[in-house]
Amino acid sequence: MAELKVYQSTAFTYAGLMVASAVFFAPLVFVVSIALSSDQTVGTGAFSLFPTEFRWENFVRIFQTQQPVGNFVVNSVIISVLSAVGQVFSSALVGYAFARLRAKGKNITFMIMLATMMIPAQITMIPQFILFKELGWINTFLPLIIPNFFGNAYNIFLIRQFVSRLPVEMDEAAMVDGLGYFGIFRRIVLPMMMPVLIAIAIFTLTWTWGDFMGPLIYLNEDTKMPLALGVQLLTSTSQELQTPPWNLVMVGTVFLSLPMIIIYYFGQKYMYEMNISTGSAGVK
Amino acid sequence: MTTLQQENPAPARAPEPAVTGIPAKPRPSKMRRKEARFFWLFISPWIFGFVVFLLGPMLASVYLSFTDWDSFTDPTWVGFGNYVKLITEDTVFHKALWNTLYFAFFSVPLGMGIALWLAALLNKKMKARKIFRTLVYLPHLVPIVAVALIFQMILAPDAGPLNRVLAMFGVDGPAWLFDSEWVKPAIILLSLWQAGGATVLLLAGMKGIPQEFYEAAEIDGASSLRQFWSITFPQLTPIIFFNLIMGIIGAFQVFAQVYILTQGGPDNASQMLVPLLFTEAFRNYHMGYASAISWLLFLMVMALTILAFSTSRKWVFYETEVKN
Repeated sequence: MAELKVYQSTAFTYAGLMVASAVFFAPLVFVVSIALSSDQTVGTGAFSLFPTEFRWENFVRIFQTQQPVGNFVVNSVIISVLSAVGQVFSSALVGYAFARLRAKGKNITFMIMLATMMIPAQITMIPQFILFKELGWINTFLPLIIPNFFGNAYNIFLIRQFVSRLPVEMDEAAMVDGLGYFGIFRRIVLPMMMPVLIAIAIFTLTWTWGDFMGPLIYLNEDTKMPLALGVQLLTSTSQELQTPPWNLVMVGTVFLSLPMIIIYYFGQKYMYEMNISTGSAGVK
Repeated sequence: MTTLQQENPAPARAPEPAVTGIPAKPRPSKMRRKEARFFWLFISPWIFGFVVFLLGPMLASVYLSFTDWDSFTDPTWVGFGNYVKLITEDTVFHKALWNTLYFAFFSVPLGMGIALWLAALLNKKMKARKIFRTLVYLPHLVPIVAVALIFQMILAPDAGPLNRVLAMFGVDGPAWLFDSEWVKPAIILLSLWQAGGATVLLLAGMKGIPQEFYEAAEIDGASSLRQFWSITFPQLTPIIFFNLIMGIIGAFQVFAQVYILTQGGPDNASQMLVPLLFTEAFRNYHMGYASAISWLLFLMVMALTILAFSTSRKWVFYETEVKN
């Protein structure tokens, strides 16, 4: 039998995809082209779509500007890694309890937790700022990291769904062997949770790495800023009407984007599974 | 959120086999009480976070929205003053609201349309499919701050590549971010660049549609366009619906691109709700007023979500579950 029409590709399929891919990919090519441009080209603004110059030294020069770009990168890594660690451990514990342990009031608690997903972060933004200000946490990483150690409704939900599908026989056998609930969690369930935990670590890493508003609210010293906040400082110039060093700014956007692409490449298997099981396009 | 509620919202599972093997007694056994204690112990991090970072701040936010407060002196009670001023007087807020609606209602459906079209093409048997898929997906991985900086270059009025391409077709491109007529389309364009993110999901959904549907349609002589609208699209509506709602909620919270690229300008033509809220709170220290904005934002997001859910019955096709 001939191929079904839905799966038949025609010249139009290829033409459409080639045009679309070119349009989607062109901006990234342009970024690389600018990132590798000389300062003279930046001055004239005559950038070409495809790289014609190859000033790889821009990737070193970005660390020698007035902005502490080295700090930006280190700060981003610290904030996003610690956030991911906090999110994984807290959500794992809570998600396990919701999936496996029985208690009066569990259902209503779970419903409340699901309902919290509907509340936009902007509602709590101002009181949280006041809270962290009172705690003396302004201009530290703490307001960006600490809340992650208390779980997140979406992640807890993902873990609960995942654990509910795991067989309970292992838990029961472990219980007969005298393992307590924490022991079962740590030795039996946690190892089996790995795929969902990796997915959550990736979601948290990518979200925190790209977060702009949080650092903008809480951090006001250049040396403490993560890359997502710091990179746009590169566009500010000492004099009015001076051209920003666009080549270095684009190197900054490469630094900001490349880790996300690499993480996606290695973690897509896990993210894909989790995305499909919830039908969402991921937390972005 | 549909899928969330479809998949047993409450843990309404069948009664679990008693772990202890002892027949259930009316009074909770010692074992059950211990289990319950551990349940509350294990979820205590979430409860703490819920009370300290969500419930407490929410209540504080409700209170603050009825006050005038600069965060340094004591708040003064103004009743519904902030809300009345926002709804009846504040023209900047009205503009921000209009712009946000405009942004949401163009960027979300257009983005979904593009994602769907790409998915339909990528679903076909073809060469280099993986490469095409990667190329359209890549922009979705770029953090929004980087997207903003990239589009600052692309949309540059004179030397920007977009206007140079337009010039090749004899079109005199606008000043985009500097033109109050074109700044909103520019920001929509920027969001459409990331539309490929939903393609991967839609593609997975398409893989789950039973072949027999298409075989039957083929026998009936349906054209491929007809097959798309009668089979593919209805089968995908749960995914489309979910992502539309999430997309609208996300679009209402747009912030970084506006803050970095235009600061709401020119002449508030790109001012939107969250950037306005941020400016009022953290630049002008109108904490009470900004809190009122956040509650109006919340009400609108809720209203849209409810509207989407209540009309979903008409057009969302749930008969066959989306493959998990």
